[in-house]
Amino acid sequence: MAAAPAVPAALVLEQATQAQTPAARPAGQPIANGKRDAVGEPVAHFFTAPQLAALRRLSDLLMPPMKGEPGALDAGVPEFLDFLIGQSPADRKQLYRSGLDMLNAHAAKQFGKPFAELDAKQADAIVRPLLVLVPWSFELPKEPGARFLAAAHDDIRTATRNSREVSAAAVAAGRRPLGAQLYFLPVDPIYKG
Amino acid sequence: MPKQEFDVLIIGSGHSGGMAASVLTQKGISCLMLDAGPEVDLTKNRVSKAPWDLPYRGFNKPGRLPHVVQANEFNANQWVDEKEIPYTHDPANPYNWVRVRFVGGRSLFWGRQSFRLSDWEFNAAEIDGTGDSWPIRHADLDPFYSKTEAIFRVSGRKEGKAHFPDGNFLDADYGPDSTTVKKITDIATARGFLVSKIRASNGRNGQASSVNLLLPDALATGKLQIVPNAIVRQITVDKNTGLANGAYFVDRHSREELHVKARVVVLAAGTLESTRLLLNSGLANSSGVLGHYLIDQLYGVQVVASVPEARGGNVPEGMMGGTALLPRFRNLKKGEGRNFIKGYGMMIASGGGASPGFFREYGEELQKKLDLHAGACMTASIYGERVPRFENHARINKNVTDAWGIPVLHIDVKDSANEYNMAKDAADTAEEMMKAAGWDILSKTDKFHPPGYSIHEVGSCRMGDNPKTSVLNKWNQCHDVKNMFVVDGGCFVTCGWQNTTLTMLALAMRASEYLADQMKARAI
Repeated sequence: MAAAPAVPAALVLEQATQAQTPAARPAGQPIANGKRDAVGEPVAHFFTAPQLAALRRLSDLLMPPMKGEPGALDAGVPEFLDFLIGQSPADRKQLYRSGLDMLNAHAAKQFGKPFAELDAKQADAIVRPLLVLVPWSFELPKEPGARFLAAAHDDIRTATRNSREVSAAAVAAGRRPLGAQLYFLPVDPIYKG
Repeated sequence: MPKQEFDVLIIGSGHSGGMAASVLTQKGISCLMLDAGPEVDLTKNRVSKAPWDLPYRGFNKPGRLPHVVQANEFNANQWVDEKEIPYTHDPANPYNWVRVRFVGGRSLFWGRQSFRLSDWEFNAAEIDGTGDSWPIRHADLDPFYSKTEAIFRVSGRKEGKAHFPDGNFLDADYGPDSTTVKKITDIATARGFLVSKIRASNGRNGQASSVNLLLPDALATGKLQIVPNAIVRQITVDKNTGLANGAYFVDRHSREELHVKARVVVLAAGTLESTRLLLNSGLANSSGVLGHYLIDQLYGVQVVASVPEARGGNVPEGMMGGTALLPRFRNLKKGEGRNFIKGYGMMIASGGGASPGFFREYGEELQKKLDLHAGACMTASIYGERVPRFENHARINKNVTDAWGIPVLHIDVKDSANEYNMAKDAADTAEEMMKAAGWDILSKTDKFHPPGYSIHEVGSCRMGDNPKTSVLNKWNQCHDVKNMFVVDGGCFVTCGWQNTTLTMLALAMRASEYLADQMKARAI
């Protein structure tokens, strides 16, 4: 490979500017063309490490990859829920924290290890008794364990379905992307001076 | 320089305010309309977004709009901000007050189901053996219903039944019934229940709002000014005559306070906002019933069944799809001997799916169940009538103010045995009919949403002939202040099972024609 001729960098820049006119700004398209979640890794910091590990296992158990579609882990659901629950009112924070702690406590008692390390059969032995019918989705079960599982199940399913990954997989399989709706923009927000 | 005195000040620009403006201006009366919210152009204000491009992946921002079950991250900006304009209630007795503040109000977003009330509602006291009847009957409102149905282009199927009065309908094409709708129709008919179809306002160009059907005619007269972002704080009264003479209003942005003069005041701010304004103004309450008898409808009861022949993702052609509407069928005769008075309508929809909560499964097993029942479900839901009771009321909470320093409402509404018994009867009845059809019940609940959820709140400025037990007379005119009218849902004496808008519009039209005649005769 021949060595490149030694040309000062400033000169190269100058020649390039003379040689071409700047590209026109793409009409009707934003200059900022990237997406936060497409370039950045989410940083989880609400749940403790054991809680987050249990949430990862639970997410994979309740919403695994199915029929070639990404599952909850592929869709970054545990990290998203760390963000969402971390922003939520105190009662919802507590529901999740104590629920995940409970999964770990049951796992330690029954199998001598954290929930995250259970196989499917062991995890089922803990989760199945907490699954109750929720005929009316507006009211969660009263019993705390069942209440946590019903809330988490719904959140994990929704967060998976509403993810970029699941929709991209649908498009790749020749189906319609999921979930796009009309978003109502803010109207004339109050003048703050 | 002294400002113009308007003939009529109209507070609120939704369906009822729009109707008042349309009627009055076309009779040559100059009107000023104040609305607390900004103007919105729905064609420009909505853009398509995917949930993952929203900050909370389609989940609403946590803690925002805790009382608006209908809210999600897509529509969150269309509702009133509960922090900006709070209201209070006992935590044990939740009330879901669902509000919109734009020019056009909730008429921009309503569901458009358009039913008349019948004499089973207007004449409720006689049929129920308790409570109060309206001071008017269906015959009084019939011509106004007809004119309103023409403006809103209501389509419906005529049935010739007095408890489900027909209207001035466009022909509706419901298409042929699917075999499941035919089956449930036969079963309901055999039980003596009328089975009909949805009646809906078609409007024009995809909208049936005050903004496109009512206000343009008013503006065309040159007699209407509409001022947005004008929050009315208090109605003012002439000390000598006791008559209303205008109102103080606050600019939404600057909070500058202004006063406007008018010969007549028409309140159309929505049931609870009109009530709040009257209470804050210290007016129209010699009866002591202002704010009381607050009612709305009972929603949430649901029974879902799966049709065996339609399962597995291969629905035979013509089997699923469409709806059947059962107008009220309970307590149509006196002395049915039930453990509740009044009644409910029922909607049975064919072709939906199952919810995950119907099964004790997760992961692939759950997905198999959902796939099995997809498109194979029948869903029954109800429109129940709540009983008006004096104790259920809204009052001013002097300790809490909104972002403009205006005292807010404390709402105190509880359900009674009548509501619980009605809900149970509805769930049992739907289950019995679906089982008779040979369908498998997947889910049955007689639970229902807290009061307010239906967004059909009415009754807190009720009308009546007796000034000691009502706020308004039968013309929506305040007993206490003769040049003040409340033309929104506040005037209802009973709420019926029927969606309230069509009746509100017809009443607002009737009241406004009366007001115009009185002004012409110089009686007001």
